[in-house]
Amino acid sequence: MASVTKEDKKEKWSADLVLDLYSNLLAEIWEIVSALLGESILELIFALAIKKLGDKYPFLALMKVSEEGISLDGLKENCRNMAPIEIHRGFQGLINHLFHLFSALAEGVISRELFPKVLPKVREAERIISQK
Amino acid sequence: MSFEIEEIVESAGTNLPNLFDFSSFGVLWKEGPTLYLYQEESCPPSFTQEVAKNMISVLTILGEESVDVNQLNLQVEKRRLKPKQILMDPQAALKSHLTLPLAAEGEISGCISLNSDQLNAFDAQDLQFFSVIGYQMAATLKHFQRFSSIKNIAIYDTLTNLYNRRYFEERLGVEVKKAFHTGSFLSLVMLDIDHFKKVNDTLGHPVGDRVLYEIGSLLKNSVRKKDTVARYGGEEFILILPDANVEASSMIAERIRRSVEKTSFEVGQAQINLTVSIGISNLPSHRARSKEELVKMADLALYAAKGGGRNRVCVFDSNQR
Repeated sequence: MASVTKEDKKEKWSADLVLDLYSNLLAEIWEIVSALLGESILELIFALAIKKLGDKYPFLALMKVSEEGISLDGLKENCRNMAPIEIHRGFQGLINHLFHLFSALAEGVISRELFPKVLPKVREAERIISQK
Repeated sequence: MSFEIEEIVESAGTNLPNLFDFSSFGVLWKEGPTLYLYQEESCPPSFTQEVAKNMISVLTILGEESVDVNQLNLQVEKRRLKPKQILMDPQAALKSHLTLPLAAEGEISGCISLNSDQLNAFDAQDLQFFSVIGYQMAATLKHFQRFSSIKNIAIYDTLTNLYNRRYFEERLGVEVKKAFHTGSFLSLVMLDIDHFKKVNDTLGHPVGDRVLYEIGSLLKNSVRKKDTVARYGGEEFILILPDANVEASSMIAERIRRSVEKTSFEVGQAQINLTVSIGISNLPSHRARSKEELVKMADLALYAAKGGGRNRVCVFDSNQR
């Protein structure tokens, strides 16, 4: 039986941390944007963004999106062993695409509300990844 | 664009100026390959083009299937949606917008857009209000779309796209009542394709079906806007011609007969020449006392046309009773 090395533990810990960070971040995006656009349109936009990035980052398809919000439970279970940088890239791609869609719909209106809260957290994720 | 959709859009448009400061309001609605852009009538053409381009791009980004802009048939319909005094500047250019998909049950049927010739004209509160309006509009439009598709199933014959017999009966009831009440003319034209059984037997039912569709189209194109063309059953068609006396309806029927006779129906590899027999009855000329009697009279006249050698028009004669 292979022993769990210190490196493995650190990697797993980082993956969990990145997943938690993005889980909170997406929940925050959901809260802010659903108040502006409504849950049903936001659900549609999230589904489109996930579908768009599905080929490049298949793990994103494990996210559950409904009018109730986003759940990363299934994704967390399956992605613990993924490299944190890969998780980070996938979520970064998703967030960029969401911003692209938001800006197509309402130019800067949504971004203006989102940037102050979301950008620091994206930076935080980048910091965690770069520390590793 | 259907009447119901126009009504909803117009009602939304006239109420929006109370909520937002904007230059124009637009609704882009997809019906098959056609995109309808419904917009404020004072929009200058250049502004309309910018708005259309922007809305189609949003629809493309959000749509699951890629939209080929060159293949689209865009129809712009303009209505007065704002009070007359708030006219648009003819030089206005699109500077900012809010565009939302009209989505119900995960399906996007179009989008709505608030447009302005001012930079940064909209804020988060505008978006909040506008998304509520968009949500309500999408749900209402979806409801009407569903209602209209059920209505279509109930009144149209699926093979020919003509009205079905059930709708014909209803319509005839209304027209007969009107004719009795006002003393106006009403003609009924009953038409049967001669030797149609041979087409089915020799060329097969798919060809027969195609022939029925072609004749149906020919009939639709041969009558006036106020006339009703229906498939009565099998290879029989029936036409309700309000305000048409015997002479006028005979002319229409004769025109149809000649037109069918002259047409070579191309169905697949085959070219078929056909003829039709036609019977006519009329109110008040033939003194029918009910719609059933008027139908019976047209049927007797049709029977006479068949008996007389087919490919002819016969008007009801009281001796046929």
